[in-house]
Amino acid sequence: MSGQGAIREYLLAFADDEHLMGQQHTEWIGVAPFLEEDLAFSSIGQDELGHAALLYELVLELDGIEPTDTAVDRLAYGRPSREYRCCRLVEYTTRDWAEALARHWVYDTFEAARWRLVADSSLTRLAAVAGKALQEEAFHRRHADALLDKLLASPEARTRMLGALEAILPMVPGLCGAVAGEAEAVRRGVASAPTPDLLGPLEKAIAERFLVEVSGSGSRSGSHSTADGQFLRTVRSTDFEPLMKRMREVLDYDPEAVW
Amino acid sequence: MARSWATMEDFEAFLDGGGLVEAGDGMPDAYRRAVFAFIEMHANSELMGGLTERDWIPKTPGLRHKMAVLAKTQDEIGHGHLLYMVAADLGVKTRAEMLEDLFAGRSRFHNVFHYRAVTWGDQVAIAFLVDAAALISQQAVFKNCSYGPYKRILRRIIAEEGFHMRLGEDRMMRIAGGTARQRQMFQESLDRWFWPALQLFGPDSKPDDVLLRWNIKSERNEVLRDRWVQKFVPMLQGYGFTIPAPDLRWEAEARRWDVGPIDWAPLERTLAQGGPDSARRIGEAADNWSRTAWVRTALSDGSGS
Repeated sequence: MSGQGAIREYLLAFADDEHLMGQQHTEWIGVAPFLEEDLAFSSIGQDELGHAALLYELVLELDGIEPTDTAVDRLAYGRPSREYRCCRLVEYTTRDWAEALARHWVYDTFEAARWRLVADSSLTRLAAVAGKALQEEAFHRRHADALLDKLLASPEARTRMLGALEAILPMVPGLCGAVAGEAEAVRRGVASAPTPDLLGPLEKAIAERFLVEVSGSGSRSGSHSTADGQFLRTVRSTDFEPLMKRMREVLDYDPEAVW
Repeated sequence: MARSWATMEDFEAFLDGGGLVEAGDGMPDAYRRAVFAFIEMHANSELMGGLTERDWIPKTPGLRHKMAVLAKTQDEIGHGHLLYMVAADLGVKTRAEMLEDLFAGRSRFHNVFHYRAVTWGDQVAIAFLVDAAALISQQAVFKNCSYGPYKRILRRIIAEEGFHMRLGEDRMMRIAGGTARQRQMFQESLDRWFWPALQLFGPDSKPDDVLLRWNIKSERNEVLRDRWVQKFVPMLQGYGFTIPAPDLRWEAEARRWDVGPIDWAPLERTLAQGGPDSARRIGEAADNWSRTAWVRTALSDGSGS
């Protein structure tokens, strides 16, 4: 894979994860346990979609395409499913608010570490986005941590949260999964380390946060094929097509339309 | 320093002089209950409006478009949050009691949120026509509102609602200048939402309406409704849409639009929780509230109350 191709894959995986994570947060607005949480998910969702838009712009620049909103949307919504590079965790349709919160904490913990890998990126615009994103991520994590501090201290809520975590955990290795050409992207200074290096620390953070044992999937760090079979992030889960159909419903209504 | 008034005449004289009542004041009970009921309904409407729109938020076409819609939703829920606090300070019900009443179908919210948004066009119609109607009402309340905490919050709400209406107007204009399918979609939305939006203002105010006497409202319902009609009928026609009012006519002498007789039965049905989408809306909100009770229980320091 060419250097540019590797960088593109790297950025696309990052962008797709942010896009779908932001999208998933929109599903939990208005149905949270109390109004403050509705507000939090709408705010965090905006941040993640904003990151996605900036990352898609960087991909478009690599492609030599002017990064207009229309071009961003074409990239964000218009690819065949095999060309997406998101991980299973962000495709996953959560079954309840506990799973949404567990995913929010795990994803944002990972995301902050991922932004740190590109804080001094050779792509200066990526580094600039990272600076802003890291500030936002501090708020996201503080929000999720404040809730978990209380929920994990209550026996019933702890049981529910651990049940939710159990559903989320198998998708954690995929979250840290590599794209093709990851090593080349790192060699070119786009990131300071490959994404799979984040798995061990993430599992440790999860174990400390939830006071559970997280089986050492960190040993597979660096592997291309993760526990959920997402080889180089090229395989979509069964949740992806319905999710994309929902996201594209208005766009598909009239492909000629500008909304 | 809390104030009190010996008689209702003294209190009304205070209001007539432009006085602002504060939460700690010894206001007459009838005033307290009237202000509370008004703010509670406003709060409920912000919340239920968010639920009406949430059906379509995940489907918003476009990444930055979705961010703008999320920002609007965040505002709306934030308004609900502030309004519930102001209402709770009146000491009639706690926030938890207001929400319990709302989800049990025991309290009211605006008629428009008893309807379902069935297409994206409906979402735009709500953002444009309904938000505009709400804004006209809120501006009129703000102008001469005698309850200080509500007036101060309305200042912020009105500023934000102005942005929402412009977002809705911008989206409507894109559709108006768009494809035939888009225009048809919006015409159908207009057919569904024109009358509910107009009815949001309510029937003509009664001569003895205490909300007017006590400066909670500053203008009569029919005046506000007419303001909306005179603005939106020509604007929508100008964009080439048809107003779904068979008796609509231009009164040349008075230079105004008359929409003809208004059937208030649909409004009355929503007031009795019998609107087209009332059962689903309230039922889903109630189910969700009970499904997430464990979180509020665990956070029993009052975050959920």
